[in-house]
Amino acid sequence: MNLRRGWEIVRMRLRSLARRRRVEEDLDREIRFHIEQQIDENLALGMPSADARRAALRKLGALTQIEEECRDMRRTNYIENLWRDLQYALRMLGKNPGFTVVIVLTLALSIGANSAIFSVIDGVLLRPLPYPDADRIVRVFFHSASYAKFPLNPFDFRDFRARNRSFESLAGFTRGDLQLSGTGQPERFAGFQVTAGFFRVLGLHVARGREFNTNDEIEGNGRLVILSDRLWRSKFAADPHILGRKIVLDAQPFTVAGVMPAGTEHPGNEYHGLAHGETVDLWWPFTFRGNPAQRGSHYLEVIGRVKKEVTPAHAQAEMNALIAQLAREHPDALVGWQALVIPLYQEIVGPSQRLLLVLLGAVALVLLIACANAANLLLAKATARQREIAVRAALGAGRARLVQQMLTESLLVALLGGGLAVAIAVVGVKALVSLLPAGFPRAGTIHVNTAVFAFTLLVALATGILFGLAPALQVAHTDPQQGLRDGGRGATSSGRHLRLRSLLVVGEVSLACVLLIGAGLMLRSFVNLLRTDPGFRPEHLLTASISLPDEKYKPLETIRFYDRLLTNLNSVAGIRAAGVGTDLPWTGYDDNVGGFTIEGKKPAAHEEYHARYHVASPDYFRAMGIPLVRGRFFTADDKLDARLALIVNQSMARRYWPNEDALGKRITFDDAPKEKDWMTIVGIVGDVKDKPDSRAAEMALWWPITQTPVSINTMSIAVRGSSDPSLLVNGLREAVRGMDPTLAVADIRAMDQIADANVSTPRFALFLVVLFAGLALTLAAIGMYGVISYSVSQRTHEFGLRMALAAKPCDVQRLVLRQGIRLALLGVALGLAGALALGRVLWSLLYEVSAVDPLTFTSVTLIAIVIAALACYLPARRATAADPMRALRSE
Amino acid sequence: MSKPSDLIQGTLDLLILTTISLEPKHGWAIAKRIEQVSEDALQVTQGALYPALHRLEQQGWIRASWRTTETGREAKFYELTKAGRVQLEKELAQWERLSNAVGLVIRMAEE
Repeated sequence: MNLRRGWEIVRMRLRSLARRRRVEEDLDREIRFHIEQQIDENLALGMPSADARRAALRKLGALTQIEEECRDMRRTNYIENLWRDLQYALRMLGKNPGFTVVIVLTLALSIGANSAIFSVIDGVLLRPLPYPDADRIVRVFFHSASYAKFPLNPFDFRDFRARNRSFESLAGFTRGDLQLSGTGQPERFAGFQVTAGFFRVLGLHVARGREFNTNDEIEGNGRLVILSDRLWRSKFAADPHILGRKIVLDAQPFTVAGVMPAGTEHPGNEYHGLAHGETVDLWWPFTFRGNPAQRGSHYLEVIGRVKKEVTPAHAQAEMNALIAQLAREHPDALVGWQALVIPLYQEIVGPSQRLLLVLLGAVALVLLIACANAANLLLAKATARQREIAVRAALGAGRARLVQQMLTESLLVALLGGGLAVAIAVVGVKALVSLLPAGFPRAGTIHVNTAVFAFTLLVALATGILFGLAPALQVAHTDPQQGLRDGGRGATSSGRHLRLRSLLVVGEVSLACVLLIGAGLMLRSFVNLLRTDPGFRPEHLLTASISLPDEKYKPLETIRFYDRLLTNLNSVAGIRAAGVGTDLPWTGYDDNVGGFTIEGKKPAAHEEYHARYHVASPDYFRAMGIPLVRGRFFTADDKLDARLALIVNQSMARRYWPNEDALGKRITFDDAPKEKDWMTIVGIVGDVKDKPDSRAAEMALWWPITQTPVSINTMSIAVRGSSDPSLLVNGLREAVRGMDPTLAVADIRAMDQIADANVSTPRFALFLVVLFAGLALTLAAIGMYGVISYSVSQRTHEFGLRMALAAKPCDVQRLVLRQGIRLALLGVALGLAGALALGRVLWSLLYEVSAVDPLTFTSVTLIAIVIAALACYLPARRATAADPMRALRSE
Repeated sequence: MSKPSDLIQGTLDLLILTTISLEPKHGWAIAKRIEQVSEDALQVTQGALYPALHRLEQQGWIRASWRTTETGREAKFYELTKAGRVQLEKELAQWERLSNAVGLVIRMAEE
């Protein structure tokens, strides 16, 4: 279509719309001219003038029809109709403000809730990761019979990097926080040691300077560091000459090699995990140290970018082939290991995916209920308007026109609701983001944006059509004759009509039950979580972490430092117990040690003895509140030259010494142990799970700090007081500063806070699901009330008669209640069946609750019936007010 | 709905466009002309003419203006637009093809 003609068409349409009267007049004149011409012709043929006019009109045909067809040709009829329908709909809604407010508000709430949850899903799940071609980035892990997901050994990694053909680039990284001094108060920053090309894998580039290369991986080639934009600005005043500058980290000089741009997001990691996002401030080269033949220690996390045509499954297959190859070269090292290649996206959002989808499901159910509710209310209105509609139909309004008019009304309502929903979504998203558990992936990318607006509009339109369809079709089936005869009482079609509305209410109740059961299960699960003994006592407990620089503190000095620090802390007023350990419960610690020997035992084939390992000071357990089950805690006597002592937890004792007393048993890490290499179990302590909702505690062992075989430069401090732990902060800081003013006291938190953060995800889910269930229940109650009220109004006559025939008010009330309860029971039955079917979806989010928990199912049934009875109460009261005299008189 | 009984819609459009291709005409004249030229073989149902004119106008093929006829009456005259002229040629060619094809088929059936 050329431009000119397009313009012509637009001009014509506009003219037809804007100058409707003029166009109509023109049409009139045109037709009149035609008739006059025909009359002239007829007269010329010798017809009498009266006949000439009649013949002319006959020849032309039905005038109004021609005019109507001409109007149709103008293609503006539907706009005019729509405009008229809109005006009419507005008038109808204005006439019933209560009805309108209820529908619009319930729709706005449910659409808004959907939009808010959608915003979260959009930000977390739908938005691509902030790396170019992010779908090619994968994480590489090992796994075995004992470990589901395990980091790699650096030398294994180096061989994979050299030999693989699947990856464009492959890089390793491992947590390595560094303490910055010389720029005011010493502070510790989140850091990672990364191999060459780490940023290349992510598709990121330094803003200044250069990335690390393989040369930087060799120890002794000088210490380099890349700074985050944030650190560069906050600590170095965005110094443009920062490159090459020497800064002091962990008491050693580092040369600044580069600065990353703002928006550099850490891909998230498992081992000493840090959440995805702008969480990292320092990157420094990973150096390959030690003997490449010894490959027992696994601590390097691996990330890679696969080549364009390579799938993660292919890459995994190749990695497994390489493992087999390496296993031939290093017979002991790689037995039992398999590669695990997981797309980065899945690794980051996987854990929250199910939760978000469950929430979306819940909120979609609420919307369905709101739809049923709106349909129900509109049906009630449509019934009241049956006479009006019958009149319109009798006057020649086509079915399509009537349906269009009803749909206009429902769409108007839905769009009003949708508009309000946007406001609710904006507020809701703010609230949601503030409620999100700490460390929730990609929380920063959650915004109300165009996609959310589009979603809201779509949902509103779909909702409008969905709930408008029932009343519209009802209208389409109105028989004008009957409608007129009934005189507007609509009694004849009320049977079918009530059935439809009852069906909707049953649907509402059943959906609400599904949600209630979900909420109930999550509530039970949450209560279980809170009730479970954590295995330690989080109250009155202050925790922190300090890191002693390698350069300044040799192993013996480290032991001495902590010993003196603990002595000093014990003398601080208010401190009842102080201890240090490699880690704190529930902080994501999962260092494992495997391959030790248990005296007199052999592991099963392809398995090895393994356990989480920790180091602890004598008072660590007392400060933590971890109970001693048997034996003793460490003491000052467990010196380096004394017999090596070991504490294990109950899980380990039970697993490796079933039906035996683990106390006094010995293990060793030496392949050819001498007598002094054996460690003797001196105590068994209570279990602490990795996380409060872990299914079971892992096996764990502790070495005394005084005999530790591993580096303990970074330690967690636990200080127990007798009241508010924040009162102990100053004492702790003073004690550390008194010993070494260059040390940063990092991660100061009350143990209560840590414990609380660990239940924040289930609490978040519980809060939302309970909110949605409450909304659903309210909507269902409104629906029930509406239907029962309607049915009562239809049966006033019958009730009057019954009362006239000596039925007591309570009999009538019982009749009404029975009707409501019957609907509710039907709904509950369907709802319970639905909840049973959906139970599997929830299961992984539940803690120690069966998805068919009888208590929850019974309570929900009771709640639904009680609410149904309450919703029926008012209509039931009204039923008894039926006047027997009037009923008889009108008969 | 009254559809032109003898003429399919496209044909009516073609007839109208042809009829006014030489000079602007009003509705009455168009109806008369079609009857005349086809020697009354094609009876345009007069009622169908006006919706067709309005449709063509809306589509931008023809344009209308009020003028005085020789009898001194005000009448709405229709004329082709530029786009309408192109459209007419297209439709004529199409018609030609169609009628040739139909003729061919019929001749073949007769032989």
